[in-house]
Amino acid sequence: MSLEITRMNPHFADVMPQEYTDLVENGPFGRDFGARDLGSFKELFEEHPMCAGCNLSLAFRIIVASLPNPADTIMVGSTGCNSIAFPQLALHNVHSLFGNQNAIASGLKRGLALRFPDKVKDVVVVAGDGATADIGLDMTLHSWFRGEKFATVMFDNEIYANTGGQESGMTECGEIRNMAPTGKKFNKISVANLAIEAGCAYVAVVTTASPLKISKCFEKAVLVAREIGPTYVQIYTPCPTNLKLKSSESVSLAKERSKGTYQFREHVSPEAEEFLAARAEKTEEQVRVTSKDEEMHSA
Amino acid sequence: MPDVELKPVSTEHLLRECQREEVFITGSEAVREAIRRANVDIAVAYPITPQSESMHLVGDLYAEGYIRDYFRGENEFAVMSEIAGAAMAGVRVFTATCGPGTLRAFENFPMWSGTRLPIVISFMTRGINSPLTIQPDTIEMGMLLDTGMIMLHAENAQDLYDMILMSFSVAERTSVHIPVGVFVDGFFVTHTRQKVKIVSEDVKLLPYDPTHSPVPTMDMETPPFRYMRDPFVMKSNYISYAAHASWQQEVMAAAERARPHIEAHLGSFVEQENPDAPIQVVACGTAVSQGREAVRMAREEGLEVGLVKIKVLRPAPREEIRRALAKAERIVIPEFNRTGWLAREIASMIPNNDRIAAGPRVFGGMTMPPEVIVDVIKGDVLVGV
Amino acid sequence: MERYRVVPGPEGYLPPAAALHGVELPLPGQGLVEGSRVEGRTAALAIAERLVSASVPTFFPGPLLLWKSTEEALERGRLVREIAREVGAKVIPMPDYRPKYPMIDPAVEINPNHPNLTIWFNKIDVGVFIGVHCHQANLALKIIRGGTSCFTVALCAHEGHEDANASLRDTDVASLTALLDAVRIVKQGGE
Repeated sequence: MSLEITRMNPHFADVMPQEYTDLVENGPFGRDFGARDLGSFKELFEEHPMCAGCNLSLAFRIIVASLPNPADTIMVGSTGCNSIAFPQLALHNVHSLFGNQNAIASGLKRGLALRFPDKVKDVVVVAGDGATADIGLDMTLHSWFRGEKFATVMFDNEIYANTGGQESGMTECGEIRNMAPTGKKFNKISVANLAIEAGCAYVAVVTTASPLKISKCFEKAVLVAREIGPTYVQIYTPCPTNLKLKSSESVSLAKERSKGTYQFREHVSPEAEEFLAARAEKTEEQVRVTSKDEEMHSA
Repeated sequence: MPDVELKPVSTEHLLRECQREEVFITGSEAVREAIRRANVDIAVAYPITPQSESMHLVGDLYAEGYIRDYFRGENEFAVMSEIAGAAMAGVRVFTATCGPGTLRAFENFPMWSGTRLPIVISFMTRGINSPLTIQPDTIEMGMLLDTGMIMLHAENAQDLYDMILMSFSVAERTSVHIPVGVFVDGFFVTHTRQKVKIVSEDVKLLPYDPTHSPVPTMDMETPPFRYMRDPFVMKSNYISYAAHASWQQEVMAAAERARPHIEAHLGSFVEQENPDAPIQVVACGTAVSQGREAVRMAREEGLEVGLVKIKVLRPAPREEIRRALAKAERIVIPEFNRTGWLAREIASMIPNNDRIAAGPRVFGGMTMPPEVIVDVIKGDVLVGV
Repeated sequence: MERYRVVPGPEGYLPPAAALHGVELPLPGQGLVEGSRVEGRTAALAIAERLVSASVPTFFPGPLLLWKSTEEALERGRLVREIAREVGAKVIPMPDYRPKYPMIDPAVEINPNHPNLTIWFNKIDVGVFIGVHCHQANLALKIIRGGTSCFTVALCAHEGHEDANASLRDTDVASLTALLDAVRIVKQGGE
């Protein structure tokens, strides 16, 4: 039982630093916390060195808080700004190389499936647009073609932010960026369309303008990946540093884009639809039973 | 599933005590026979000549139930990452590649060592472009010398069989826990039939135990839960530099710690015939076989010549080579590549390295007739540097 | 050339991994003291002597001991605390391995990527690692040898550590009990 490793040896409880005691006593392991509860529990992603106003770190915080089963989740990152966030994550995670995140996750998920056949082990990939759509595109797509059962999340800031704002395949056509001194010459890659075509059971395109939407879509992506097949969530996470915005302006930009060129999209395969509906029904049933119980108790 | 229930046994028992039967098989089939008994959990394959046949046969083992998961990846870079992911999850893995595939995958190899992955991989060596060639050539070995992996070089199918089987126990030791590459010359060994003594079919190696890993396995079952397998220690300060340097030293130390365990299986890093002869031919892989014939021919002509067969390239056989060549007056190093990486290696290990005649060298798929080696033994031809 | 000895530092800018200088791991039943293989009992006594005579002896329990509550882990935890009490040692945990950001509080924890900070801050002269994964333990041991004069001890559950000044290759309940006995013997003036 992996919750075991979140329990302290009582002989050392008196010398453990406060942050670890907090993780055990007020953390999300074995408890039902979600993005709605942010601020009320000890988070698994904290004290990161990201820039002020970084939307990537905002999205990271939301998805980590939305993990359906953090005590059995292993995350895979890649090179880029998210790899500066990852060391601050209180879960098993791997950086590996630039672009190989979906290949690492394929092996990891299969290995865990062999070792723990009776247990759910969620594998979640989180990588930037450069890692997902450029240098690692073949591995992103092939993991989907193969039907690998894990969720892929792209933090799309439409540039190589960590190396200084170069053009990526996700940059909009015409934008002037480093390495695109006269403007990008081709269209933004539609990874979401590729995901649907490649057989992803669930695909969502969201922005940091709606944190709860990110949370909802991400949770669906993890659950569908667990039961049915690969899933993809693309999150617009504008970078104030490279776009030379005030830190408070980056979410405003996300809001603006979400009404225009970065609108919410969701694709749910019939199988995933059926699974999610059944699950929602089950949850409702549980809620009904619980509230009935409560009524009886209060009566 | 296999017809018989396979009994898990130690590597020592399997290689030394189990009864062996002599069969007439190709090198690729020797890979299959080794992996049949290796209790591998996951193998990932990608085609490239002359490796492909080996991984087809490993695929057959999956179909027969000897391996628990197997698939064809999308390219060698991805395959090596898929294998890495599986190894991080705590299962035993195997793959193989060669030549251009090795180079395509290259960034993974130091990553494997750095993340302490006990991966066993076989390289069926082949030339690299350009121009395109599919023929045998050991040039990739020279490029892999500094990736941190342990490197064994098989002379023939028997070596290949034994080296693959022993590699799992070397790679998986807590104090070692880095990848092992078993190299074999493509076509010359993989595609020719040879007599190989293989152990009975009713045994397999004991399974890999991830709880003995020197780093936490990525399963959220191993403390600490707050853990990155390959943490960023790249802040611009001395502390980060020292942590990174110390990490790299530890990976090099891991290869050093493998020495006694490799010796326990192979007996020695090098084997020598006629150690007192003033002329010594030093080689690895199939160049040893050619060298052996050349030594026989030269001795027939009355020349005093010995032979040094190198079985282990990493960790480097420094002391062994120094001892073997202490009294040599002339050292002949035949190689199947253009770079002469083995001659460079030997030159860096011994005093008075002007004793070395760095050749003959053939490449591009050329065979190495023993007569060509005899010419160098006699000093009749100039060799390269 | 003289044999490389694994003695307390500060050894210099970048000390070597002891294995690269020919120091070999202890065989079953043995321990290591300053890079030499000795009988396990001899190593335990040498460690006990260091602990008893130290000014600021400190135990550094790692994740494999801190985050386990199995019966064996509990008993090992109890024994570590008992040995620590017996020699008046501090207990400073290494709860995980990630480099601390923005900075470590060296008064209350140690980290394998910059263990020297904790050693310096607390003026620790004998430090004992237990329950740390071998790879991370070796990082810490080399960095400590490089920049501090602390005598390091690695109580390993696998094959021991060349990079420690002294090391045992067993830390089960029996070995820890034997170490506790050794401490008591040394305190009473030796065997």
